[in-house]
Amino acid sequence: MRVDWLSLSQFRSYQSLEWAPDPGVNVLVGRNATGKTNVLEAIGYLAGLKSFRSVPDSELIADDAGAAVIRAAVSGEDRERLIEIQLNRSGPRQVQVDKNRLRRSTEMLGVLRVVAFLSDDLDLVKRGPSYRRDLLDEIAVQFWPAAHLDQAEFERSLRQRNAFLKSGDRDQTTLSVWDSRLAQAGGRVLARRAKATGLLAPLLAVAYGEISSDGLEAALGYRATWGDGTLGNRTAGDYADDLAQALEASRQADLDRRLTTVGPHRDEPGFRLNHSEARTHASQGEQRSIALAVKIASHRAIGDLYGESPILLLDDVFSELDAGRSEALAASLPEDTQTIITSARPEDVPLTGLQWTVGDGISR
Amino acid sequence: MFEGPVQRLIDELARLPGIGQKSAQRLAFHLLLVEEADARRLAAAIGDMRDQISLCERCFNVAAADECSICLDGRRDQSMVCVVERPQDIIVVERTQEYRGRYHVLGGALSPINGIGPGQLRFEELKSRLEPEGIAELIVATNPTIEGDATAMYMAREFKPLGVRVSRLASGLPVGGDLDYADELTIGRALIGRTEL
Repeated sequence: MRVDWLSLSQFRSYQSLEWAPDPGVNVLVGRNATGKTNVLEAIGYLAGLKSFRSVPDSELIADDAGAAVIRAAVSGEDRERLIEIQLNRSGPRQVQVDKNRLRRSTEMLGVLRVVAFLSDDLDLVKRGPSYRRDLLDEIAVQFWPAAHLDQAEFERSLRQRNAFLKSGDRDQTTLSVWDSRLAQAGGRVLARRAKATGLLAPLLAVAYGEISSDGLEAALGYRATWGDGTLGNRTAGDYADDLAQALEASRQADLDRRLTTVGPHRDEPGFRLNHSEARTHASQGEQRSIALAVKIASHRAIGDLYGESPILLLDDVFSELDAGRSEALAASLPEDTQTIITSARPEDVPLTGLQWTVGDGISR
Repeated sequence: MFEGPVQRLIDELARLPGIGQKSAQRLAFHLLLVEEADARRLAAAIGDMRDQISLCERCFNVAAADECSICLDGRRDQSMVCVVERPQDIIVVERTQEYRGRYHVLGGALSPINGIGPGQLRFEELKSRLEPEGIAELIVATNPTIEGDATAMYMAREFKPLGVRVSRLASGLPVGGDLDYADELTIGRALIGRTEL
């Protein structure tokens, strides 16, 4: 999969930009705050219809403009498609693929697949479990597009159950109805997380071994707040049964705390390095290697599943790595993959590829 | 701001669902410029509807008398009641010409986020209909949303022990449509609710 050309208008710092990246490795070089990451963000938006910096669409529109436009020709699966997105300051955005208006954003899934590594992806390892739950859920959506519907249903059921608990209403039948809605949707979310973990964990161990020569073994674990505390690999129905039991067992506690205290939304996926918790025990360098290895692992998993490699976006990764890790990362990057790397200092990037200078535009 | 009476009408129109400030303005100026009789007829229609229409005492459908025309129709099967969220939903079921029972309008669906619990819906009114009307089956036709499903599940738990059959409208593929045009959720539901041939 690749972007053949990209055109931006009134997007972030760009009044207008035209760029035809190479199908191989592209290194975007420019001083800080010249808009390198904005290019990656635009490509990320094309794939996921949201900013990977988690900001509202309005922040992507240039200051004085009423609308921003992202257009791109992308190739994959032997066909070329034209994606056009207009973000409006007032009113909803418009998205077209080959001049056809998208009715639902889910129709965009699979048109363009991207794996991005950003400098704050270190949070995946360092910070709380919610980052890792989101990671598994996002990967699940890449693997199985319908996963996001289960996730949305789970979120909604959870909000409803929590609203009931907060209301002070103690009607047992109503609570049992929300328990069962939550357990069913949660069961489906968990089955996907289990499969995503199963696909990712072995690839993570391999990728970590490639990037880091410390001989440590990286693993992805999952601590559940229900059942016997392990996830295992079972069916959505089995998970739903477990969740239903757990919700019933914690009913009094939930009523007291006015909050749903068990379930997929409280589970703790975690990275381990030689059996100790990476979040608390790994060094900064080790944590960074794990974060990178996760991204490389998901890139490989998605590539294997669809038989074509997603685009790889690497935002300023080499500057943070020591020379040994940089070389190892460069060697472990997938071939036959369109890769776009940003860097303030090209000498940090141990890769041969097309080098582009980013300023008002992008040029060779 | 426009002249007082014009602005008042714009504000009132803008409170209607689906009408924003711009549309409200357009409608208000339209009503100012059309024949006076046309504008008065609209005003009268609104007034008449409010004066003459109330909710059916039995099923809470809209009614021109104490009871709605469906409840008053003696040919209807009294043992069967189709439960819907809103009066508009009755029309949808009626248009199928497939259903000859009566209705019951709940007035919404369970949604704690919006402060709607069983007490805000007309479950008690439905319970009090069971015996006098000899109701044997409830067909729950709430929307296929999380809230609609929860409401259906609640009804199954509350009404089955009272000795009535409770069924739910099947959700599945649109008839006459192509499989590849249906979304994943619909197909997923259709798989779960598949029927044996």
